[in-house]
Amino acid sequence: MKTRYIKVIRDLTSDYPKNIMLIVAIALGVFGIGAILGGYSVIKREMTDNYLSTVPASATLELEKEISKSLVDSVKKIPGIQEAERHATVTARMRVGDKWFPLLLFVIDDFKEKRTNKPHHLSGEAEPSPGSMLVERTALIVMNAKEGDDLLIKTPHGEPQKVKLSGTVHDPGLAPAWQEQAGYGYITIETLHALGETQGFDQLRILVSEQPYSRDHIMETAQSVARQVERAGYPVHEIQVPSPGKHPHQSQMNAVMSIFIVFSFMILVLGSILVATSMATLMVKQVRQIGVMKTIGANSIQVMGLYALMMVLLCVLALMVAIPLSRLAAAGFYRQLAVLLNLEINDDSIPYWVAIIQVGSGLIIPLVAAALPVIRGSRISVKNALDNYGVTQTYSANTSWIVRFSQLNFFSETFRLAIRNVFRQRSRLVMTLGLLAAGGAMFMTALNVSEAWDSNLKRIYVQRLYDLEVHLNNFTTTDSIVKKIDAVQGVRAVEAWSSSPTSVSKDNALNITSTYPDKGHASFTMLALPVPTQLLNPTITEGKWLHDPTAHHVVLNQSARSSLKIGDEVSLAIEEKVSTWKVIGFVEDVGSHSTAYVSLQTFSAITNTTGQAELLRISYRDRSKENAMRKNLEIEKLLEKENMAVSKTIPVWLLRNAIAAHMKVLVNSLLAMALLMALVGTIGLVSTVSMSVLERTREIGVMRAIGATPAKIRSLIVWEGLLIGTISIFVAFVLSVVLSTYMGRVIGDMAFRTPLSLTISAFALMTWIVTIFAVAYVAVLLPARRANRISTREALAYE
Amino acid sequence: MNTEQSKPLIELSHVTKSFPSMSGNFQALKNVSLKIGKGQLVAVTGKSGSGKSTLLNIIAGIDKPTEGQVAINGIRVDKLSESELATWRGKNIGVVFQFFQLLPTLTVIENIMLPMDFCNRYPKNERRERALVLLEQVNIREQADKLPSALSGGQQQRAAIARALANDPPVIIADEPTGNLDSQTSAAIFELFAALARSEKTVIVVTHEKDFADYFKDVIVIADGAIVNEFVPA
Ligand SMILES: Nc1ncnc2c1ncn2[C@@H]1O[C@H](COP(=O)(O)OP(=O)(O)O)[C@@H](O)[C@H]1O
Ligand SMILES: [Mg+2]
Repeated sequence: MKTRYIKVIRDLTSDYPKNIMLIVAIALGVFGIGAILGGYSVIKREMTDNYLSTVPASATLELEKEISKSLVDSVKKIPGIQEAERHATVTARMRVGDKWFPLLLFVIDDFKEKRTNKPHHLSGEAEPSPGSMLVERTALIVMNAKEGDDLLIKTPHGEPQKVKLSGTVHDPGLAPAWQEQAGYGYITIETLHALGETQGFDQLRILVSEQPYSRDHIMETAQSVARQVERAGYPVHEIQVPSPGKHPHQSQMNAVMSIFIVFSFMILVLGSILVATSMATLMVKQVRQIGVMKTIGANSIQVMGLYALMMVLLCVLALMVAIPLSRLAAAGFYRQLAVLLNLEINDDSIPYWVAIIQVGSGLIIPLVAAALPVIRGSRISVKNALDNYGVTQTYSANTSWIVRFSQLNFFSETFRLAIRNVFRQRSRLVMTLGLLAAGGAMFMTALNVSEAWDSNLKRIYVQRLYDLEVHLNNFTTTDSIVKKIDAVQGVRAVEAWSSSPTSVSKDNALNITSTYPDKGHASFTMLALPVPTQLLNPTITEGKWLHDPTAHHVVLNQSARSSLKIGDEVSLAIEEKVSTWKVIGFVEDVGSHSTAYVSLQTFSAITNTTGQAELLRISYRDRSKENAMRKNLEIEKLLEKENMAVSKTIPVWLLRNAIAAHMKVLVNSLLAMALLMALVGTIGLVSTVSMSVLERTREIGVMRAIGATPAKIRSLIVWEGLLIGTISIFVAFVLSVVLSTYMGRVIGDMAFRTPLSLTISAFALMTWIVTIFAVAYVAVLLPARRANRISTREALAYE
Repeated sequence: MNTEQSKPLIELSHVTKSFPSMSGNFQALKNVSLKIGKGQLVAVTGKSGSGKSTLLNIIAGIDKPTEGQVAINGIRVDKLSESELATWRGKNIGVVFQFFQLLPTLTVIENIMLPMDFCNRYPKNERRERALVLLEQVNIREQADKLPSALSGGQQQRAAIARALANDPPVIIADEPTGNLDSQTSAAIFELFAALARSEKTVIVVTHEKDFADYFKDVIVIADGAIVNEFVPA
């Protein structure tokens, strides 16, 4: 081996603690990138594969009448249609313990020859025998049941009946049942009828034969099918075209992942800055060695090569540690996500490009960061390198304001000197501050966002002043039941509302929505409520809240807003009827799909349901989950006694839990990121501060020689560390506010369909302050003790 | 000594070196001209700050003259670029420092092989052998595989001299090489330099020491940046 490489290796091994710290600093970033990208790439691939393996329908047409077999056959013959199938989805309820939960019943025409949205058969019966039902695997948890058990089910029009769970399926197109706090069952039409429902198949699912991923083409085809179906005497009231080939959670997934990817690259950048700083410091420390090497014949390129090699070795070691570990973490990550997204990982190979990106970024980013100091350090002239002049010239003189500031009387002598020292090496100060500030900012951002997340969960209770929502099967006269519920002890208020799926109607065209088959994702609802209402506390962002009970006024929430302005007229289709509304306000809802709020009175007039409602919202005096659960039970019993045809009940606490469960893993990952950040940040502080002390061993010797006591020197250095820490905290705080706003917007939009309100976590700030001070103190104290232990003479001769 | 008619090995003519300072330019060397021949052993003396190191730096191409010309072995050193200088210096000038300046993480023999590596002199497989010969020459062969910190000051300086000889340069310069050594050790070092000069190396040594005047037939005395004695060029 070349002698000069021996030097590089010896230099690396002669300072284990520092170099291991540097390796860890790079490794953390490379690890983060590998864990996130690795997990993400597998999930993304498997998500698409899983979803496409079900052959999702291109479009679903909701028809007014029962679909006959012959209609399906004639649709299949339409050019451009590959498959057609009839289907029905019924929202029923299931009894688990002593509570009713929503149960989505998918009514399947032909279990043997399923054409679209095919669930994968897992166990038990493949086709449910009469009176039994297949369940989605994730629903068993919610049902608290196992295969072969009986489940009490109540369809909207039927009496509660026991149904046998005769088999299980996996349906990757559905979110896990426990996340939605609902059940999923698959039954035949005969079983549906036996359960007391008279309806037949009313959904027509089609699969286009060309351009399967063009939403435009699908919409066009679906509309032409709809026109033909209508001509055959089947009115179509809605067409649902979900994003083609895209799993319902795909876009959320992409957004969350992009944040994590940015975060992990930031960790790497921070780590690289740290390494670059210490390379710069090392070169200052070795300036004489550089001078000697140049004297004995090394040119600048050769010197540069040595330090670049050192960097490369550090990076390679970091990669060797980080890549295998990151693959393990990636596996953990995609397994968690697979559970969260109800996916089956069929191929768990992490694509090779993940490692390539890790190697590439793990080498390039640190090398780029270190390039400038290394180039500058190697180009120093022999004379400057050998002279003391050379060393002193790298210090820039204090600007006069710092000198003057430090001379203010209330500073002690030591503190004054500390201020000047901190500002003496401006470029290193900037790097250290940058590192600490960025690390701190991200640490605080992660905590801020997760706190904002919690407080937005709380906002669900602030906006929704009700605790239970009861959906009735039909429009019902509700006066007497409202009175009875109102009389229940502990009930604060009860109101009768109405709701209806709706869509923006464009002149004559059919109503097209992007709703997915689970009827939740990407739906649009009109909510009609008494004006004024006691049960909603809307967050008005623009315009006014509903105030005139008889006007055709509409208030839209943020998801429904699109490009509308106050004063615009919109045409909304409700049950086939198109009506025109004036937009008077916009609200921000936490955790609602697209919603249009209108007055119940106006709504009833349009739908001919005056005096009737199909939704009850009830609020309790004591809103705790425990009380709400108890009261909900009481209300349900009352409704049963009164023979109300209830289709589903949604307790607000359940809604809150559903949202919380959706994103829990992601918020937790954010916290993990915060920890990594804090780790890199503190490593940065420890190494830069302690290096700055080591580097000044000679100076300390001089100070000792002119009579400074060890205690005085120690306090000088400690002050220096604390000063840097304090400045970094200020910068970090400001940065974290900006970052939190941005991240809150992205995450909030995904989870709550509204940005998270900016939350400054006092806990985060305090933790960071304490960490920085504690770490700065320790980081300074150890080398300061060491520096004090060296004799004055040694210190003066220190190279 | 060799006072042949051949061109002198080192020739400085009208060399001035000034440094910028608070009160205008400070002249560390003022119009210095000198010639030194092959195999000459020259002492440079003078008070602290008189310009001895500056003179050596200019000969070694570590510093460039503000005015005047420097020719060594027929090469105009003042005209070379920084990177040309590095290689040229590695091959032509052996430098010995006051504080030895061995690289602390390399063993003694590795320190001596390093200049051969940088200048790509001698086949790789011969370098170690050559380094051992040089260590033999300076009498510390047994120390070859130790780290410099394990050696005494005198031994370190011997190693540094061996390093200066690594690429077999015609010129050896040493700036106060014995400044950190006791007088007995110093004597041995001077003996080494004298031996080098006898083997046709040109050796220029900055020294304060009057006691070792015996070793030097040729002495340059500098005061305030100018040569003040009757230095007879070779
Ligand atoms: N890089 C420099 N910048 C400014 N002044 C310098 C520099 N190098 C040397 N000097 C000045 O030049 C003069 C001669 O220095 P030097 O050659 O080192 O003296 P000597 O080696 O004889 O003690 C001194 O006054 C010194 O202060
Ligand atoms: Mg000198």
